[in-house]
Amino acid sequence: MNKGKYDHITDQDLLERFYADHNNEWLGILLERYTLLLLGVCMKYLKNEEDARDSVQQIFLKVIQELHKYKVEYFKSWIYMIAKNHCLMKLRDRQGKMPTEINDNLMSAPSDELDQQSLLKNDLAFETMEEALKELNQEQRQCVTLFYLERRSYQEIHEITGFTLLQVKSYIQNGKRNLRILIEKKMKESPNN
Amino acid sequence: MADNLKDILSHLSTDIDQETLLLYLQDKLSEEKKHEVEKKLLDNEFANDAMEGLQEFKDKQRVSLMVEMLNRDLKKKTEKKKQRREKMRLKDQPWLYISIIIIILLIIISYIVIIKAMKKP
Repeated sequence: MNKGKYDHITDQDLLERFYADHNNEWLGILLERYTLLLLGVCMKYLKNEEDARDSVQQIFLKVIQELHKYKVEYFKSWIYMIAKNHCLMKLRDRQGKMPTEINDNLMSAPSDELDQQSLLKNDLAFETMEEALKELNQEQRQCVTLFYLERRSYQEIHEITGFTLLQVKSYIQNGKRNLRILIEKKMKESPNN
Repeated sequence: MADNLKDILSHLSTDIDQETLLLYLQDKLSEEKKHEVEKKLLDNEFANDAMEGLQEFKDKQRVSLMVEMLNRDLKKKTEKKKQRREKMRLKDQPWLYISIIIIILLIIISYIVIIKAMKKP
């Protein structure tokens, strides 16, 4: 899937080519890279296969129209936001309720990447990592250790621990988040900083 | 241990290609590859949301068919403009040839008329 002569061209380059000649074919190549992701996101929110498929088609149309109107810098974050907002609008129409619209900045750079980079550069983070790991609750520590240190898949962790796959995923996600918080806290407290 | 722990803080390259995601969805990857995909999913909100949704499809094989269908439809939509342009170009061509022939004929006729007019005393 999606293997072709344009694979070497980045999303940004495809966008630049589109802005240069306004040929929708560039958008076709670009959007094809996101079909599966869009289908998945729409399915997650709408919980209906046909609705998800129709929504992907509508998102394609919307993206093509919007890109003719203005320039987008971070295409991946932008299309993700378009997809989520489209689904929330659909849910609102379906339920007659007004869900909270996602207010992330559409043109902004992806999340806290810079913070992550600066954190990575600091060796102190790794020194405190083991210490922080011990402070996690037992389930989170067990799942994080099996996942990151022993490089086990969710399925294997499920077989080893007896937790459900959903629990495994949740313990890893929460454990990872808690570890970050603990490390940041310890680094702030450290006299070296 | 420190090298493995770095993965917890690392945010580098979390992109996963569609083919790998589909193989993961259809449970066709080795445990090692599955782990790699899962690690990236933890740092890639878009792909993680998508995977959660894709796992809700009853028939996982149908997902690839649906994607192919959507891509075909997308291709039709984005190629329209080009095809229209090409059709226009083809339609324009006969008029272009006819116009050139008419202009050449007019030049020849004018030449003959001028020559004849000049020969008259």
